[in-house]
Amino acid sequence: MTGLLGNDQIKALANEESVRGVLVRTVLEQAEDADSDELKLLENALQLLLSRFQAMEEEAP
Amino acid sequence: MILRSIEMESFGRFHGQTIEFRRGMNLVIGPNEAGKSTIAEAVPAVLFGTDRLERYKPWGRNACSASLFFEGGGRTIQVKRNLITDEVELVERDDLYQPLSQFSGKAPLRGRSSSCREYRELLESLLGVADEKLFRATYFFSHQPQEWTGEELAQKLRTLVSGTAEVDYADILESLLDEHFNLTRSNPWGRDKQRDREYEEVCRELENHDPADTVPVFVEIDDSTEISGQIEALSAELVNDRLEYEKGLRYIEHVRSRQTTNVEMNPRTVQGESPAAGSAVDDDICKQLTVAGFPEEPPRNLVELLAEAAEIRQEMSTLQQPYAALGTREKKIPRVPWVVLLSICALLVVVAGAAWWQQLYPLQVSASVGIIVLLLSGWCGWRFTMSRKAQAACKAERGRLDQKKSAIQQRQSVLSERCEAQGLPSSPIDLVRLQKLVSANRELLENYWSRPAPVRLVDDVAVRDEPGPLEQGGEADSDEEVAHADELLDLEARLAEFEDEMSRKEGRLQELNRQLENLASSQRSGTAGDDTALRKRKYELESRITLLRKAINLLAGSVDEFSRSHLVRLNREAGKLFAKITAGRYAEVRLDENMIPSVLVDRRRWISVDNFSKGTIDALYLALRTALIKIRNDGRSLPLMLDDPFVHLDQKRLATALNMVDMASADGQLVLFSHNLELGKRAARERWHVVPLDGGTVDTSTGEEGGENAGQLHLL
Repeated sequence: MTGLLGNDQIKALANEESVRGVLVRTVLEQAEDADSDELKLLENALQLLLSRFQAMEEEAP
Repeated sequence: MILRSIEMESFGRFHGQTIEFRRGMNLVIGPNEAGKSTIAEAVPAVLFGTDRLERYKPWGRNACSASLFFEGGGRTIQVKRNLITDEVELVERDDLYQPLSQFSGKAPLRGRSSSCREYRELLESLLGVADEKLFRATYFFSHQPQEWTGEELAQKLRTLVSGTAEVDYADILESLLDEHFNLTRSNPWGRDKQRDREYEEVCRELENHDPADTVPVFVEIDDSTEISGQIEALSAELVNDRLEYEKGLRYIEHVRSRQTTNVEMNPRTVQGESPAAGSAVDDDICKQLTVAGFPEEPPRNLVELLAEAAEIRQEMSTLQQPYAALGTREKKIPRVPWVVLLSICALLVVVAGAAWWQQLYPLQVSASVGIIVLLLSGWCGWRFTMSRKAQAACKAERGRLDQKKSAIQQRQSVLSERCEAQGLPSSPIDLVRLQKLVSANRELLENYWSRPAPVRLVDDVAVRDEPGPLEQGGEADSDEEVAHADELLDLEARLAEFEDEMSRKEGRLQELNRQLENLASSQRSGTAGDDTALRKRKYELESRITLLRKAINLLAGSVDEFSRSHLVRLNREAGKLFAKITAGRYAEVRLDENMIPSVLVDRRRWISVDNFSKGTIDALYLALRTALIKIRNDGRSLPLMLDDPFVHLDQKRLATALNMVDMASADGQLVLFSHNLELGKRAARERWHVVPLDGGTVDTSTGEEGGENAGQLHLL
């Protein structure tokens, strides 16, 4: 798997016992059977969610 | 895993001091400014690095470093960090002090290098946490707000289960829903569906411009985008087609040139119709052969050549044995020890001379010496003769073997020439490799050889590339060759068709480019331009809405999944701990889907946490966090660090709170930092491990420890 889903950090996140970990695992599972359009949508959705997590963490006091 | 000690070589006000901890309850006690917070901060600073170096770097010194030692499960982990350079050394050892894993390199707090990633992955696997903020949010307890509400507690828990230190997944879900809600009224999540949003407005405007234009939801694609997509796809297709076409042309040229050569070398005509025929080679087979590593056009006698090569190798190998035996025989041929013999003779002569000189039985001695020398000479002569005979036999044997070898080498060189003439590699290693390839791809080769031999048109004469088994003359032969000629004609016809197809595609590409140009020019002027902009906006909105829906579904699904898989265990673990802390008064805890806790009272009523006292809510929070750590880190938990969390409590509440943390420490390790000297008495009574601080010095008087790992580190 290449692109965002093949990223080492994503693989590390997938091992987390947290909502974020479950999220990444779900996306990786769905990506296995996805066609190219669906794969692109999954990648974009995961990117959107993780960037929200990151942005909120950075905004936190 | 327990924190066994913190070694502060140079950290804050501590120099070369070691603070030890025990399993269970630890109390670090001292007045303000004694260094309690510095000790507490040493743990995350060493594990993750710090961006507040100036706070910990001793004044006037150019060094700042500390080490942590963890123990548990028969392993020790030592982490040492130089906080100035961020150089880290981490070593995990087993109970025999053998390293299990280690890391050495730079790992700054916010580093993103591969070395940092490697270090964090190791930390995550060993200690269950690799993020400084998350570590603080999970293991650090400080002064709590005066009053907790159930929602505040739930928010804190949601943040922790999100896998971050600060982000509540519910906030992210809310922000995505808000964004979706602002884009369209078509809302699967039950919000206001009456008022039009931007998407519906854009659709309505488009309808006004062109009433015939229907408003399908999330499917229509902007014309220019569609045309651009088509152009892109067609261009890519044409590039491929051109490459294929050129390849085809080159191939036909190649076959023609080969045929011309063959005509010159082996001119022969085929009876039959003109124009002459050609041959077609199965591209696939050729490709597969090339991919497998065969040389171009493997000859039909390849197997025979390889068999001969194998036979030659076998003979060479067989020859090695007699050569080796001959070598051994040659080594065993007895040599005459001339030096020893001459030395003995000289010695005997000297003895005889001395006997004559001293007149001590000169005749007897001389006779004895003469006899001995004679005997020795006789033995040497016999031995010399034997040795010469053996050498001659060996020489004859070597000559015979050399002759055989030379014959084999001659065969080898003839074979090499044959191989080279047929475009095959000639070295024995290459031939062995080729033989393996042949064994592995026998079927493919059979297919290649069983195909008709290529023929081509040369001045109205059909010529076979290579004489095949069927080319023994006769009617069948000529029929087949005519068929091959037809095949080549067919190939040429197909190439021509392919060329036509390419021309059609090029025409279509030009047409699309014209359409795109027209669209662009209409966009530049008048209403058509408005339409295009609206359509483009509509497409963007649809893409965004689709993305938001996917993201919302994924996150909501993950929360559900997490709840299904973890909530039951979390409730059970928290319930057990909460029962312990409250001495069995409350036995069960339940978190709803929003993580709002409630507690079972009198074994029959679930009461929301808002109805309990602050002390009980604190206890519940402690129980939930400890349970969460247990689940999250799967037994790799670090100690809980409580930095004066009870500073605002009165005596009665303090006593309750201390009971609570004392109970909580029973299953692991808890380090309580406090300035309340009264706690010392309780520590003595409860046999806690106490680390008293006094203005920067550490008195490591200790209490008893119940843990089985006590003192191991000192032994190591």
